[in-house]
Amino acid sequence: MRNPLMVGERVYLRALELEDGETLARYAAEESDTFMYRGRQPQSPIEFEIWLKDAYKANPPPYVEFAVCLRADDRLIGNMGIGDLDWVNRIGETGSYLGAAFRNSGLGTEAKHLLLEYGFERLHLHAIMSTVFEANTRSSAALAKQGYRPAGRLRWTDVKGGVYRDLLVFDLLREEWLAARDAWRATRAGADRGVALPR
Amino acid sequence: MRAIYLTGESVYLRAIIAADKETAGAWYAGPFPINAARAEEWLKEVHTDLWGSNKPRRYVIARVADDTPVGGVALALRDNRRGFLTFAMAPWLDEADHLRAEALRLLVPWARDDLELMTLTFAVAADETATIDAAEALGMERTARLRDFVARPDGRVDRFLYQALNAPWRVGDA
Ligand SMILES: CC(C)(COP(=O)(O)OP(=O)(O)OC[C@H]1O[C@@H](n2cnc3c(N)ncnc32)[C@H](O)[C@@H]1OP(=O)(O)O)[C@@H](O)C(=O)NCCC(=O)NCCS
Repeated sequence: MRNPLMVGERVYLRALELEDGETLARYAAEESDTFMYRGRQPQSPIEFEIWLKDAYKANPPPYVEFAVCLRADDRLIGNMGIGDLDWVNRIGETGSYLGAAFRNSGLGTEAKHLLLEYGFERLHLHAIMSTVFEANTRSSAALAKQGYRPAGRLRWTDVKGGVYRDLLVFDLLREEWLAARDAWRATRAGADRGVALPR
Repeated sequence: MRAIYLTGESVYLRAIIAADKETAGAWYAGPFPINAARAEEWLKEVHTDLWGSNKPRRYVIARVADDTPVGGVALALRDNRRGFLTFAMAPWLDEADHLRAEALRLLVPWARDDLELMTLTFAVAADETATIDAAEALGMERTARLRDFVARPDGRVDRFLYQALNAPWRVGDA
């Protein structure tokens, strides 16, 4: 593992390095899902690099961003972070992105539990929120599994299919996250340890 | 400098002027102190989008009686359609909630009928009841409730998100 901060069974979180921009830009170029947002867009590795040069400067930071990596071979599979950190109210907003090949096998949820552990138990945040474009049913399903509760919907946020759609709002308190993590661990207990990972 | 269309009984809104650097504690958002030198720099940093809508528009909320700045509000725009308000009220005020409520009563009709924004969204703490009453009287909808999102000296309260939805925009949404 390279410079890990939070370590799970299959994935770990570390700070993003400048060269990770290349991989993240490739994942954007290889995006195969179209239902999640208004539309796909190529992203330049230059943009990522400029972002990452400054991303770790401020202390305390306005957001924390992590690389999600596979323990098996150190591959970067996506990024995940807590944004809009409010150090007075002790709140923040999580966001996640995995390359298309790595979705739907529970890796995002494992990484999210590491991120939430970091947020609740290292930063001592009191509450966390997340927002999901309503068409992104997979993301909502993942959040529900991770303990987040529906908190409302911001109306008419963006267009999909020519119609303005809503942004679903979720919130999460530490006790709810702990219960969700216990439930998730129980389902993982008997899981096949030899999960096939994409090449 | 008071905007004639944003003037109420006890407060009015106006664009920020250079002299406001002396009273930044009243209108600058955030709990940390800011001195006049930094406020002056910051005002120049944020006022660089005269003709665009890429940066939030920022206004001072001033008291009608004596022109004292009592708060600030930022209006961020997305697609020139969706507006997001962020209020900052002077920490020394006793009647912050009531003055913010009056500012909201000026801002919502302006955003809806003059700017013709499709949505206007803002966040308010559950114990800011005058502002909540004003939002509801203006026809704003509470579209989200974030539990425990605001820290108070004696515990925590929820944060509500309110939205004004501009009815004529519904036509294309049918
Ligand atoms: C959101 C994301 C981080 C979740 O990580 P993940 O590893 O795919 O999530 P998991 O595999 O743990 O869980 C996904 C759940 O969604 C379900 N799901 C998959 N596709 C779905 C769909 N189209 N609609 C509803 N549920 C769906 C899965 O069955 C799974 O639930 P289960 O474990 O109960 O069966 C990942 O999918 C991703 O990066 N997506 C693209 C970017 C994105 O949408 N980010 C979030 C923006 S708000």
